[in-house]
Amino acid sequence: MKRPKMLVISLVAATALTLTGCSGGLLGGGSSDEDGPIKFGMLAPLTGSEAAVGPFMKNGAQMAVDEINEAGGVLGRQIELDVQDEACDPVAAVAAANKVVSNGAVVSVGGYCSGATLPTLPVFEKANIPMLIPAANSEDLVNEGLKNVFMVNATGSQQADAAAKYIEKVGAKNVAIIDDTTSYSTDIAKATAELLKEKGVEVQSSSVTPGESDYSSAVNKALSITPDFIYWTGYFQEGGLILNQVRQAGYTNPYMVGDGSVSPTLIEIAGADVAEGALATMTQTPDTIKGAEDWIANYTEQFGSEPGPYSTQSYDAVRIAAHAIEEAGSTDGDKIIEALEAIDGFEIFSGPLKFTDRHTLSVGGFQILVVENGAFVLKDNLQ
Amino acid sequence: MLQLIWDGLFVGSFYALIALGYSMVYGIIKLLNFAHGDLYMLGAFIGFTTLTAMGGVTASMSIVALLITMMVSMLLTGGMGVFIERVAYRPLRNSPRLAVLITAVGASFTLEYSVAAIAGPNPRVFPIRLESDTLNFFGARITIAQLVLVGIAILLMVALNAYITRSSVGRAMRAIALDPKGALLMGINVNSVIARTFFIGSALAGAAGVMAGAYYGKIEFLMGFVIGLKAFTAAVIGGIGNIKGAMLGGMLLGLLEAFGSHFLGGEWRDVFTFSVLILFLSLKPTGILGERVTERV
Repeated sequence: MKRPKMLVISLVAATALTLTGCSGGLLGGGSSDEDGPIKFGMLAPLTGSEAAVGPFMKNGAQMAVDEINEAGGVLGRQIELDVQDEACDPVAAVAAANKVVSNGAVVSVGGYCSGATLPTLPVFEKANIPMLIPAANSEDLVNEGLKNVFMVNATGSQQADAAAKYIEKVGAKNVAIIDDTTSYSTDIAKATAELLKEKGVEVQSSSVTPGESDYSSAVNKALSITPDFIYWTGYFQEGGLILNQVRQAGYTNPYMVGDGSVSPTLIEIAGADVAEGALATMTQTPDTIKGAEDWIANYTEQFGSEPGPYSTQSYDAVRIAAHAIEEAGSTDGDKIIEALEAIDGFEIFSGPLKFTDRHTLSVGGFQILVVENGAFVLKDNLQ
Repeated sequence: MLQLIWDGLFVGSFYALIALGYSMVYGIIKLLNFAHGDLYMLGAFIGFTTLTAMGGVTASMSIVALLITMMVSMLLTGGMGVFIERVAYRPLRNSPRLAVLITAVGASFTLEYSVAAIAGPNPRVFPIRLESDTLNFFGARITIAQLVLVGIAILLMVALNAYITRSSVGRAMRAIALDPKGALLMGINVNSVIARTFFIGSALAGAAGVMAGAYYGKIEFLMGFVIGLKAFTAAVIGGIGNIKGAMLGGMLLGLLEAFGSHFLGGEWRDVFTFSVLILFLSLKPTGILGERVTERV
């Protein structure tokens, strides 16, 4: 009777240690030594509701890592990418962040779901690890003013700017904005509503609870003001359903979605015919960036598929991190942060990079996409 | 207004179909079957697999394909319900109530994550979708697809009601619900009747899953969780253990949700729904149609 009990206790203990991030110390796997590879940690959704995006981020980052390693690495050392699954879930994300830290990462180049990335901020702050967040874009990430947090993606308010600009451009007067109550989605919805109201546009805001199938009440409410524009700021699953349900209800005016909904699955869920002509606010993706043809060809050759959303931002995050480490001449957290703040004019996909005081991009690149022949293509770059 | 009522009744008919299984199982062995909502999810995924396997046939005759798929799905989810009862509930039938409740939660997670492991965690798009013309009924939009689905749901419920009130198995079910030991002494095969209850309840949930998949177009492995809780709420509102109560409760819950989210806003829908559950449990735990059971010592 004694042995199974002991086995259980030791198993529990081992699991607990792994979860709290002590495994590095126990197994001696930490790589704080000076000549091993430099570790870049990356949290990306490899499972869960957003699992489709994880591989794009991972591949984009891996491409940058390979290029830098071929060119001789950073500070004469090779880079190693350590990708962990955040599953778009706060609990999984914190566990993954602890794992990355205990594996000896010196910078973090991940973060997709804002809600899952937020609770990882204290983990990286405590370990003094600079974070270059390529995809998550809630304002909450920078609102605390943590000095180690940098955003490579444009923020929610920049997205709202783009949305409001386009809505004004098409001359809509009655706009319904629907969010899904997550921090990412309400950010954009609120900011867009404010901008539009300033310009004298009638706005009706409403929310839905994600994870259900029937949104008829939200649809009826939105349609009750006979809108000439609908903007959905949540993710693609509900976005597709709501698009289908507003069209079924006879709505024929423009329907626009936020970047969290830019996915081929949105088109599948809504139905290809129904989705035709739907608009989206989206950060630059490889296929909407001029002059990225070579990059796309390289990516396609290496990974056997076209690059998807956030592959370029992840690629850039790695390059920025490597550049900063090279400039700092050290892998020390404080020195890398100083070097990041000092960057001025480093070329990335969205233009020359310089961080603002809040550590966001000074030049944000949001643009408008449209669904044509069952795929998102560039409609208007708002320049 | 009419639109709200129709929307509520439409969603309510899904809740009612699922609540029936909940209520039957509770009525007969006093068990809250938390895995019930996941049988709805399983039904949707079995429907997905069946339709994919049928391939090109589906495009030309979608209603026939859907009915066949529903049959297949009902048989398989029914079987799964019987299997769960055999493996997770029957061995614990004489254990404290809490133990069975916990295995029910375990069964629920086992179903959810087995499907996630086999079919993948991403949402799937149903191969056929019911698309149809819209009728305008005094200002309310009603699609023919909705009418067909509500029709199927009502048909299933009426058939079930007849089965329970007319057939000998139905009588046996009611006898077991009153007094399992007494029923056993009267020569009723209690185990087989309970298994049959699980089969019917699970099959109805499976049918609802296929219907939801075909109507909304999207299925995912966690889709049964919330709807399971809502079906439980519907069962409580109508009077848990009471078949007609489950139908009434489902429809009422659909209406409550439609009106609640219209007047309070969509983000308050679940708050509203579950507040009603709390109110019912504390003020009238027997529900609308339930009778107070006097415990005989």
